[in-house]
Amino acid sequence: MEKLVACETCGLVQEVEHVPKGSIVKCARCHFQIFHRRPNSRARTLAFSIAALLLYFPSNYYPIVTADYQGHIIHTTIFQGIQGLWTQKQYFIGSLVFCTSLLTPALKILGLIFLTLTLNSTGWEKTRTWVYKIIRLIDPWNMLEVVLLAMCVSMVELGELATIHPGRGVFSFAAVVVLTLLATLSFDSRLLWDSPAERKHYE
Amino acid sequence: MSEKIHGLPKAKVEKSYFTWLLWLVPLAAICLCGWFIAEDFLFSGPTLTIYFSSAGGLQKDDSLVKYRGIQIGQVQSLDLAPDRQRVIVRTKLNRSARNVARQGSIFWIVSPQVKLGSISGLQTIVAGDYIAVRPGDGARTNVFIGAEQEPVKPIPALDIILLAEKLDSLQKQSPIFYHEVQVGEVLSCQLGNDPRHVIVHARIREEYAPLLRANSKFWNAGGINFHFGLFSGAQISAESAQTLVSGGIAFATPPDFQSAATNGTVFQLYEKEDDSWKDWNPYIPLPAVTAMTNQKDLPPLDSK
Repeated sequence: MEKLVACETCGLVQEVEHVPKGSIVKCARCHFQIFHRRPNSRARTLAFSIAALLLYFPSNYYPIVTADYQGHIIHTTIFQGIQGLWTQKQYFIGSLVFCTSLLTPALKILGLIFLTLTLNSTGWEKTRTWVYKIIRLIDPWNMLEVVLLAMCVSMVELGELATIHPGRGVFSFAAVVVLTLLATLSFDSRLLWDSPAERKHYE
Repeated sequence: MSEKIHGLPKAKVEKSYFTWLLWLVPLAAICLCGWFIAEDFLFSGPTLTIYFSSAGGLQKDDSLVKYRGIQIGQVQSLDLAPDRQRVIVRTKLNRSARNVARQGSIFWIVSPQVKLGSISGLQTIVAGDYIAVRPGDGARTNVFIGAEQEPVKPIPALDIILLAEKLDSLQKQSPIFYHEVQVGEVLSCQLGNDPRHVIVHARIREEYAPLLRANSKFWNAGGINFHFGLFSGAQISAESAQTLVSGGIAFATPPDFQSAATNGTVFQLYEKEDDSWKDWNPYIPLPAVTAMTNQKDLPPLDSK
């Protein structure tokens, strides 16, 4: 097995001896954490993905916005918002919102859970590569949500006509976004091509 | 890397704790979901099923249930009953208002109403119709038959029946005057079993009830009285501006008054005032009125 590790922070190549379980390795120069493979990567990815999956349901079931138009209280979920955009003939924005807020988070969460759960089983290598490719492909599109939100706010411009309160859905959705981000960050793609023996060694 | 490379620094190995803290993240997510579910199902108020003959201006997911001016619930769904005679309105009550749903509670729909002499429910023009409730005090229940209109408030009062030859301009809520002060109102007008008479149900407010005696006389004070006398010229008089449009009744009690009238006493409603009645002005003390003007105590707050 490789004994040399380059620090990702200061670039110092150094020797790493046997790492007992439950320990972390720190760079000799800059004291940042160094590793062969991201430590605890599988467990972390799984934990964050499961948390994101759990919160995905309330984020879509509960309203993201509660608008109070002079006594008319209107709850809007993400899906109702997409339907609204669609009926207003905003097809492009509608499908963009659908992709970035409904489709991609779900795909990403399920993909990461699939990867972490099947990592030790042989015969899935090709599928795993494909799943990881898809995750990499949709990852940057998730960032579009912020832009879309800004766009929607400027489009709606309700001003004094209505009072708008954030619903439960928006908090759950924010948590989903953060958790999927953490899950992708903690996934070490090198695990995909490690042999089971190597994986065992690095873990 | 099989061969040994010399001169490279050695990384430090440290013990790492708290890796198990990671699993608090999905645990927190489970707790959050559990809290949402609990709030929706365990800690939420009851869902009421109210049958109305017409849903009026109610709207799904929008119309409110209000009591004492605040929102206590929301309409969730509107459906036609299988027999097509009624509309099933399902409403979700707030948990704090669950005690409103009791046997004997009356629900009705408030919509804008413009009638002669009164305008009500104006706020519903903008905000939409809502369901109002007057809570009963029976056992808890979730199924109700909605009332067609606001039930008459059970204020302590004296209900009497007047028999008239014809209705003239009388209608529901027409005022009843004593010395031109409104002391009561008409509850309903209908033809009786004997169609020669119109039956007018009227109500005298409790504090003025002693004024009404068994030998009091009622007459129709609505519209314009037009007298044309040879020497007095033309005389036009009306009891009040309101009676011009909504009709009205006045009564007088003779100085040799009898015992106080009781609930359900029947009086004759004369078409016009007899001249001798004008001079009747007996002294009848009204203890309830003085009590009311001196009232300082506020009613006790409802305890939950």
